[in-house]
Amino acid sequence: MSTELEPAYTLDLRGESCPYPVIYTLETLEGMEAGQLLHVITDCPSSFRNVPEEVQRRGYRFARDPVKNGREFLFYIVA
Amino acid sequence: MRLREPFHHYWRPLPTLMLAGVLSALYFVLTGTVWAVTGEFTRLGGHVLHWLGVDTTGWAYFDLVKLQGSSFERSDGWIVWGMFVGALVMVLLANNFKIRMPQQRRRWAQALLGGVLAGFGARLAMGCNLAAFFTGVPQFSLHAWFFVVASALGTLLGTRLIRQRWWKGKPTLIKGGLKPEAPATSRTQPVFGYVLAAVYLALVAYFFMSGQARLGLGALFGALFGILIERGQICFTSAFRDLWVMGRAVMAKAIIAGMAISAVITVYAIAGQGLHPITQLTAPGTLVGGLIFGLGIVMATSCETGMMFRMMEGQVLYVAVFAGNIVGATLLAYAWDHLDVYDLLMAGGEKINLVGKLGPGGAIGFTLGLLALLYLFTLAVEKRHLARSLAALRA
Repeated sequence: MSTELEPAYTLDLRGESCPYPVIYTLETLEGMEAGQLLHVITDCPSSFRNVPEEVQRRGYRFARDPVKNGREFLFYIVA
Repeated sequence: MRLREPFHHYWRPLPTLMLAGVLSALYFVLTGTVWAVTGEFTRLGGHVLHWLGVDTTGWAYFDLVKLQGSSFERSDGWIVWGMFVGALVMVLLANNFKIRMPQQRRRWAQALLGGVLAGFGARLAMGCNLAAFFTGVPQFSLHAWFFVVASALGTLLGTRLIRQRWWKGKPTLIKGGLKPEAPATSRTQPVFGYVLAAVYLALVAYFFMSGQARLGLGALFGALFGILIERGQICFTSAFRDLWVMGRAVMAKAIIAGMAISAVITVYAIAGQGLHPITQLTAPGTLVGGLIFGLGIVMATSCETGMMFRMMEGQVLYVAVFAGNIVGATLLAYAWDHLDVYDLLMAGGEKINLVGKLGPGGAIGFTLGLLALLYLFTLAVEKRHLARSLAALRA
């Protein structure tokens, strides 16, 4: 686990409702350099599903599995 | 599988919406009415006006939606309260209630304004994503198809708007990592969930035992619909919107499948049992209303149905959407005769039902055919969108 990438950015989307979590996540990833790690924190329940699905559909990779952190979800996505 | 499991994972939209389609057809068979909410929102608006001392005698729209008694004496009322309760029970059992406050103040104005437009448009068109869409198409009321097309265009307009920088706003983007907060460990929410479920079931049982079967059915099915929309995160708004914004078709496909199964059961009930389908006016107002509604739900990020489970999750923004919906529906009720909206947009309309025009076989054939076309269209948009965004990524 010590070889893991450090997040280059953290996107704190708590309080944002759909569709903004997906829009923000995709836009942020597009603006990052390939290989950088993006950490996303979100608490809109619909985004627990649509953020990871849309990110993967566009070929981005998860550095590790999504983490359910109480009533929030944490995503670690490689740009 | 542990007993808790179903409450800790969201259900896939496709089976959830197919179940919703079956249940809504069953509700029609049992009661002769459909799963709908905005008609009741209009009546709630009427109650607020009365409470403020406004005399609404002679308002034609309130006669049309039969504004009498209280919300708790109507099966339509119990559909709404049942949906709230069903959704809340699910949120509590999943230990997922959390006050979720929007980070950006502009969201409040967007929610309220969008909610007003959605309420106004829905009532002009005689139904929201339910009575003029998900439960309207399976009733073979032609107005639903005009509504589908108009609201699709409205959502397209809406997505143009919400992608503007000044509307969308900026997210909180921090350089580097952020240590996650320790999650709350309290397990009291599921206890409240079970207590609420027990009390509510007792109430449903009371309705049936005291000879108020219609209220009991409304309360029971309302709760079931609430359970389904929360567990499946059923967002009708996202069906077209996410198709336009990101080529996401999960919800659209599931809704189409749900309507197809609902239509098949409903046509059997109409042909076999002689039930009368619920038919609304098809008029220019259907198109205008659908367009305004489509724009409004994208602005508000939710329609009248999605608002309900999101509010129960603790997303405070949706209190503004709910208020907006009621204000919008009430404005329409006023404008109906006071501002000549009826004469202008509805008077030339006609109640057209496909079963009456084409017979049961023709009606189901026509409906399934159009649903198949809609499905193909959805697939095409999904494919094109993905190809384009992948090409942009590679460039």
